Amino acid sequence: MKIIEKLSRLDRRIVYLVLAAAVLLPLVIPSVQKVRVMTPVAKLFKAVDATPDDRIIILDFDYDPQTLPEIEPMGIALLRHAFKRKIKVAVLSLYVQPLGLAKKALDQVTEEFNGRAESREDSIIYGRDYVFLGWQPPPIVPLLGMGISITNVYTRDYYGLRTDSLPLMLKVKNFNDVGILVSLSGSTAPLYWVSYSQTRFGVAVGAGITAVSASEFYQYYQTGQFSGLMIGMKGAAEYEELVESNLLLKDRRKASEALGSLTAAHLTMIAFIVIGNVGYFIRRRRERRQP
Amino acid sequence: MNVAHDPWIWIGGLLTVCIFSFLYRDNPFYKFAEHLFVGVANGYFLTFTVHRVLIPNLFNPLFVERRIFFVLPLCVGMLYVMRFIPRFSWLVRIPIAITIGYYTGAVIPATVQADIIRQVQGTILTPQNFQSWNAGPAGTIWSVILFIGVVCTLSYFYFSREHKGVLGVTSRIGIIFIMIGFGAAFGYTVMARVSLLIGRFQFILGPWLGIIE
Repeated sequence: MKIIEKLSRLDRRIVYLVLAAAVLLPLVIPSVQKVRVMTPVAKLFKAVDATPDDRIIILDFDYDPQTLPEIEPMGIALLRHAFKRKIKVAVLSLYVQPLGLAKKALDQVTEEFNGRAESREDSIIYGRDYVFLGWQPPPIVPLLGMGISITNVYTRDYYGLRTDSLPLMLKVKNFNDVGILVSLSGSTAPLYWVSYSQTRFGVAVGAGITAVSASEFYQYYQTGQFSGLMIGMKGAAEYEELVESNLLLKDRRKASEALGSLTAAHLTMIAFIVIGNVGYFIRRRRERRQP
Repeated sequence: MNVAHDPWIWIGGLLTVCIFSFLYRDNPFYKFAEHLFVGVANGYFLTFTVHRVLIPNLFNPLFVERRIFFVLPLCVGMLYVMRFIPRFSWLVRIPIAITIGYYTGAVIPATVQADIIRQVQGTILTPQNFQSWNAGPAGTIWSVILFIGVVCTLSYFYFSREHKGVLGVTSRIGIIFIMIGFGAAFGYTVMARVSLLIGRFQFILGPWLGIIE
């Protein structure tokens, strides 16, 4: 009993150390975790996959360094999916901080594809296969303005080129030419797309969100306002699994690699919660018995 | 072990250690990293605003392309600066009124449609909603649970009558749903925070120290 009591009064720094060890060990000694794909992620994959040839997808990269580990693997998996299926992509951000991270993800995936391309046709070429529209504040301007004209909202892309001169954008006018818009965000940006762009123009919206905001978003998936949903690192791992199994792409799966650590950390947390509660009840019972 | 040679990766790694040092206790290294982040973030935002927003959207059309109409947004925007001149500070109300008027008009219909009407539609017991769960016959059960959960939770927040009788029962059921919701939210929060920790460890062990690929 004394051990339980001592454990329930552990210094928080020891808890941090144990948690750090639980996270570190599976990273150093990798273990294979089977990823079971849940319906919300499968529906998103299906919705992206069903994009007709004459339409593009829009990826809204709205994550910042604080939410990078959860959301970046989603963005990379989505880009791999789109490029492999030859679906045209427009990337944008509603906020300024994600711009550099969006460029990093784009550079990584285009390098992956161009590194193994055998011809110009196989390559991923800027302006033909994808565009990076950049940032246009305030968010309400792209949310509503893109329903009328995308090139009027983003007159110049991230690199300063006129968007109406890019071959891809010559075929794209507004949301009518968009198959699905996927918002990857650590904030409420996906809800903005639903409230403004979908309500007004009917564009299909999917979302990739952090786990902490999952309970805020599920109801929009249940009502069908989100065509699909990825939640946290687990959601990213599920999308990676779908991309690998359906498209036979064997690239690095950062979210899937982290699942071992995620499981170990969760088990550690559960153990600490149980120990803390058992210790509390033992102490309370002893205090009641004492006169 | 293949330690990074890129100085930027070293800077990222050392700043990560500075931030983690807060777990032991507050210290100057943590404060330095925190202040650096705030400064860099603000500088980044300001530079981008000038180069990517003001210059292409206002200064170039007005001063290079000579589109005189752009004087109007420039003047309205400049009224914000009047806040610093006590005699004319009342003029700041004009751009604030324009902004509030525009946003109110845009937000209210969108919120009512997306957050209220669609959510109420999604709660009503209809065959379409049963199917939205993709759970076959069990979809009906989930829809009924959802309906009971929404009604009981709403009844818990009805404070105009004492929670006795039928209202007492429904509000108590409402509390159970709220507690389950809190539990789910906490579980997700743990998952999110642990994911961030994993992300940092992947960076420290990977690109920085080269212990993992």
